[in-house]
Amino acid sequence: MQTKDHKVLVANRGEIAIRIVQACRKLGLAFTCVYTAEDAASGHVRIARELGGDKSLCRVSSYHDANELMAVADDAGATAVHPGYGFFAEDYRFARRVSQRDRKLIFIGPSWRVIRELGDKINTKRLARSLGVPTVPGSDRPIYDEMEAEKVAQSLFEFQEQQGIRKPLVLVKASAGGGGMGIEEVYDIDLFRSVYRRIRNYALRQFKDEGVLIEQRIRDFNHLEVQVVSDRSGRNPVHFGTRNCSIQSTGLQKRVEIAPGFDPSSIEYGFDAAQVLRDITNHSLAMARKVGYDNVGTWEWIVTRDGRPFLMEVNTRIQVENGVSATIARVRGQKGVDLIAEQIRIGLGEPLGYGQEDITFEGVGVEYRLIAEDPDNRFTPWVGRVDGFGWPERPWLAMHTHVPSDDPYDIPTEFDPNLALAIIWGKDLAEARERGVEFLDTLVLEGANNAGEPLRSNVRFLRDNTGRILKF
Amino acid sequence: MDTEKRTQHLAERLGYIRDVFGGKHNENIALLESKLQEFNLRLSEGSISDENAALTTLEDLFDFVERKLEAELTPMDKVRIVRHPQRICLRDILENVYDNFTEIGGKDEHSIDPSMLIARAYITRRSGKKTINQPVLVIGQEKGHGEEFRNGGSVKPWGNAKALQYMKVAETEGIPIHTYVFTPGSYPVEDYPGAAQQIARNLYEMAGLRVPVIAVFSEGGSGGAEAIGLADRRLMLSHGYYSVISPEGGAAIEGRLRQGQRAAPELIEKCAQQLRITAEDNLRMGYIDHVVTEPPLGARPYHYDFFRGLRQEIIRATDEVILGVKGFAPFRAMVLRRRRGKAETMDLDNMYVRWSLSASAKDRLVGRRHRKFNRLARNAARDRRPVLRKLSNMGWDAWWDIYSYFKYDLLRKHQQKIAYLVEEVEAEAQVLMEKVAAPWRKITCALPGGSCQSSEETERELTTLSDWDEEGQRNGNWSYVSPRAKEDRAITCPNAATHGCLDLWAPDLFGEFAGVCTYCGHHFPMEYQWYLHNVFDEGSIFEFNAEIEAGNPLGFEGFDVKLEQAKKQTGLKSGCVTFEARIDNVKLVVAMLVAPFRGGSVGAAEALPLPGLRARHRRHPHPGRHQRRHPDAPLHHGRAPLHRGRGPVPGAVRHQFVRRAAGQLPRLLALPVLHPFGQHRLRRAGRHQGDHGRGHPAGLPPGLSRPVARAHPRHLGPPRRARQPEAGPSDHGRPQPLLPVARATARNR
Amino acid sequence: MFDITQLLDEIKASPYEEIVVTAPHTGVVTFADVREGARVIGPSGTWKEKKGTLLATIERERNQKPIHAVEKGEVKEVLRHLEGTFVEAGTPLVRLRHFLSRDEVLAIILKKALHLFVAPERAKYYFAPDVDKKVKASGPRSVSLHEGMDLFIMSRMKREAGLAYSGPSGVIYAVYFQHNENVDAGQPLIGVCPPDQLSLIEDVVARVQTEWEERE
Repeated sequence: MQTKDHKVLVANRGEIAIRIVQACRKLGLAFTCVYTAEDAASGHVRIARELGGDKSLCRVSSYHDANELMAVADDAGATAVHPGYGFFAEDYRFARRVSQRDRKLIFIGPSWRVIRELGDKINTKRLARSLGVPTVPGSDRPIYDEMEAEKVAQSLFEFQEQQGIRKPLVLVKASAGGGGMGIEEVYDIDLFRSVYRRIRNYALRQFKDEGVLIEQRIRDFNHLEVQVVSDRSGRNPVHFGTRNCSIQSTGLQKRVEIAPGFDPSSIEYGFDAAQVLRDITNHSLAMARKVGYDNVGTWEWIVTRDGRPFLMEVNTRIQVENGVSATIARVRGQKGVDLIAEQIRIGLGEPLGYGQEDITFEGVGVEYRLIAEDPDNRFTPWVGRVDGFGWPERPWLAMHTHVPSDDPYDIPTEFDPNLALAIIWGKDLAEARERGVEFLDTLVLEGANNAGEPLRSNVRFLRDNTGRILKF
Repeated sequence: MDTEKRTQHLAERLGYIRDVFGGKHNENIALLESKLQEFNLRLSEGSISDENAALTTLEDLFDFVERKLEAELTPMDKVRIVRHPQRICLRDILENVYDNFTEIGGKDEHSIDPSMLIARAYITRRSGKKTINQPVLVIGQEKGHGEEFRNGGSVKPWGNAKALQYMKVAETEGIPIHTYVFTPGSYPVEDYPGAAQQIARNLYEMAGLRVPVIAVFSEGGSGGAEAIGLADRRLMLSHGYYSVISPEGGAAIEGRLRQGQRAAPELIEKCAQQLRITAEDNLRMGYIDHVVTEPPLGARPYHYDFFRGLRQEIIRATDEVILGVKGFAPFRAMVLRRRRGKAETMDLDNMYVRWSLSASAKDRLVGRRHRKFNRLARNAARDRRPVLRKLSNMGWDAWWDIYSYFKYDLLRKHQQKIAYLVEEVEAEAQVLMEKVAAPWRKITCALPGGSCQSSEETERELTTLSDWDEEGQRNGNWSYVSPRAKEDRAITCPNAATHGCLDLWAPDLFGEFAGVCTYCGHHFPMEYQWYLHNVFDEGSIFEFNAEIEAGNPLGFEGFDVKLEQAKKQTGLKSGCVTFEARIDNVKLVVAMLVAPFRGGSVGAAEALPLPGLRARHRRHPHPGRHQRRHPDAPLHHGRAPLHRGRGPVPGAVRHQFVRRAAGQLPRLLALPVLHPFGQHRLRRAGRHQGDHGRGHPAGLPPGLSRPVARAHPRHLGPPRRARQPEAGPSDHGRPQPLLPVARATARNR
Repeated sequence: MFDITQLLDEIKASPYEEIVVTAPHTGVVTFADVREGARVIGPSGTWKEKKGTLLATIERERNQKPIHAVEKGEVKEVLRHLEGTFVEAGTPLVRLRHFLSRDEVLAIILKKALHLFVAPERAKYYFAPDVDKKVKASGPRSVSLHEGMDLFIMSRMKREAGLAYSGPSGVIYAVYFQHNENVDAGQPLIGVCPPDQLSLIEDVVARVQTEWEERE
């Protein structure tokens, strides 16, 4: 089957759905989108109506119901499923079902076995250790017993004290969670129990699993990522550089991502930053080779102030911030790398067609996540209507959004109030920073909620933080 | 006035006959009717010269017809007799058979369950010139004469619990118990405590009651009868019925009727015939010991002769039981034997037998009872073990007894003591060492390069906390995979409407999730093989008693064919598979009821191995039962734990089975039983857990017209680690004996 | 307070409600044998354990799912042209005309009579754990409320926040939300009955019970 004959079911919504549709069109592939009644105003619905061919849009009861997606795929004649991020992106059972059902489809993502191997934080930790990859001290399996949890926490406190950490911290997180949800810090063992119980109850409600992980909370670190790409052979993974995602909300959710991860050329670090970047890319590729990784994925790392990296987890999916890596990457010197299109292409079985030596990097990329939220109030999501949304077009700016700029848009409460991703490129850090500020200053974003209160967004927060990007 | 009363009485008798025969023998009824009408007419005209004589003639005619019809009674007619409002009830018996009685445990509507009546009654007898009041405890279902609050003698679980409670009182007081069974079956209560569970509890306790129990059956319907029917001597009224199921119930099963449909009368009639429910049948099969003759067409409250006869019978039965186990009473026993069959001439009121027993006589009493019921079960099932095997088994068993005594009884007692002592000493030493060592450790840690653990080592320890039990995981694979896991289709959870469960993909559901809905925890029934292969350690299963074969003790027509079919289809000989197995190396003796074999219902063949299990376990005591488990780990009723990342952890599922088994032992007995049911004192479960119906449709609780919002969906049990930390005997207070006999019910669709 | 007679009269003036039965999810629809003008019944039995009239079947992933009438009424329209086709979730299949039942009328009137505690924002709401325990164990009327009491957990965009009760003290007389569904801002969550109005509310209940005649 030729790649062009495929039809891709876009099993997602919003901005990522739009980008998948655009990638499909770039590759000349047919596609079909789904949406729910509540999400009818989303941009991906509009783009599917405008650009799609026969049976390119179907209303479903829920994005979370795999049966809906399979039924729509069959009805529309889709041959492959792109899960985007979130929803089923890291659900190995979904991937397995897609590829093992009677009418088989291609799951555009790693094979289900890889997702299962690496989707399990615990398993990842073990795999990492077996390859000598450093991981964060803490429990490597979910803990269900309060007494045991307290014991682990106690020993983590003692360990940090021995290491001379002045204010030791322990992190309690839902083992089934992710994306910064259900994580809390404990600074005093006496408070541990109440935090533990809170997280356990939260995890039970949200994820239906009481398991809790307890780790040393490494404060004062930078959050780095390595973008890995590998074709279905799984033998020749390459990396598309590193990203720095240290600017986060209080809920530990990313707000600004920068590629590359550090910039030793313009900033002085207290350690050998170039060496750290080399180490984490090498470690990541070693693990990818070991498991036979066969699609795009991200290795997440934390780097402490003294330059020690620890592997956090592996995201077996395309990530929100893929565009920022693409913007600085050149394949055989060519601009215009599209990681989502690459993901679909290799996902459908084409070989990658180039090696690590063909990939070079140029300049600095900054990605802002524009979100309707209140940074002054613990980043509480804001719900209401967006009335005005616009920005001047620039050659160095790429906007990804599902929010229409000509129509008012009601933010659905079902999902995070993400409005847009803005990716800015500069030839060096200084230029990128400058352009970032310029973009944020010229951006128009207005709206109001039912009570008539004006729209709240994180634009100010993003602007304030632009000055400190890539600084440790 | 007197005439009026007598004609009224005759009219009632006529109505009774009409009701009993339900449309048959119309010519006889018409005859009686016309004669009665004629008499009434003549009476009103005043044309009768001798009212008394005419009435007597008429009464004689009634007697004659009743006697004539008596010979033609079918089993179903007898069912109608016992259900007739004019049928004698327990209150009638208390008033006419006993000399004095006091109802206890609440009267009429004020009782916790008015269909269960408890009374302390006396029988007055003479010994020489002395008058002696012998107290007995009378327990029985009270149908009344049509009063609604009596529920027609259908006892709720708490009614049976009350009965049990007073049986215990009687045991404490050392007075005999007379039970009267007047029930169409127990009241179906599905919620906790559950009808069947309570009956099982009663059976279990009654098997060990240390006072004589005499039961009289009038209407013995299904399990409800068993709640008070396990007795040393079982009498039955000649017009009663005693059956594993009501004829209507049997017809519903035979005719494969759905809810709401009614069986044809012919089918019911046939089932009544087939089920062998009459007194003669039961006597022949040995399920009862003696039949008490009733007047033609059954006893009604005005049959005072009958009550007198019943009194003699019940006294004699009690005497017989007592004398049978008493050390010395040859003469009186002989008198009793000689007088058997001469009910009319007998007057036991003038012979005194003291109704109390010595400790050793009580032992004999209980032993006899056990033997009696074991024999019943054995006769009803087919034990095809060759004689030699049976004998050699006995020899082997004897050897085990000796071996076990030395290995476990003798040694363990001392071992335990030594173990406790060692523990105590260790604990003391620990405290002492801590005190001595603490200051020293502080100093050494403070010194650079002190003998304190290196941080690298600590770090390694912290990052390798787990002893992940790969074996316990079985690598996430099941040894047996349901064939349903191979179909590419979606399955809807029955709780979807109330719990919002999304459809599940069959391979996920039956393959990975072990048949558990991941949204609400509903259990889809799994094949019994699934339990066999996935719950127990691989290769640890050793079956025994496989030769016991289900039979057809009632000779129910067509049942043999069905049994043969079931045997062929399943390759099993009965619906009960008994085996020894291990879970996490804890040895167990297991009885498993297998649904594909006739719905997993328990007959004699299925029940027969059960007392043996206990005996087997006693002979092969498994060290495992002395292990103690973490008491905080809750039982997951009907829910397998799910681990989000990897699906349910087989080890954990298996683990919970051990625990669940411990909570559910009484359920072993809690199934529809053929009435001769082998009783043996089964060891009771350590802790009762109310099981809230697994696989039971989720209906709204009564009284709630609209679904109440739930704060969150019913949660799944947390995945437990495959191995609990071994809790020492001294911690966590309450010891938790791990029950050695497990049971799992498996169902096929 | 309010005029119950007038309210009842208003409802009596238009005692019908149109119910549109929609496809719960995507799938291929097969209609059952229902004709326009036919009477259908909703769930019945003590625990509503008997399903209503079968209207259609929808098959998705080889799983046939029956669609039953949820209320009694008269069939106004069956969208027969959908027979055998793959439909989107939420596609209307059957329209019913439903005559308001006594309980529904009561609910409408109670909504006016009780003090309503409304959702401040569009979100999913849950009872706070200790309240939830009480509600589950002995019903919502066992919960007595007072100002400032922790009553709800509001879940929105995967974030949860506590919500305290404000309003008069009383018991929860009615619950208007489902645990898994979003509640719009301004929609009532619970109806609260202050203790001094309990007898008044009971009067209302009694009036509706006697005055409202249920029709087929």
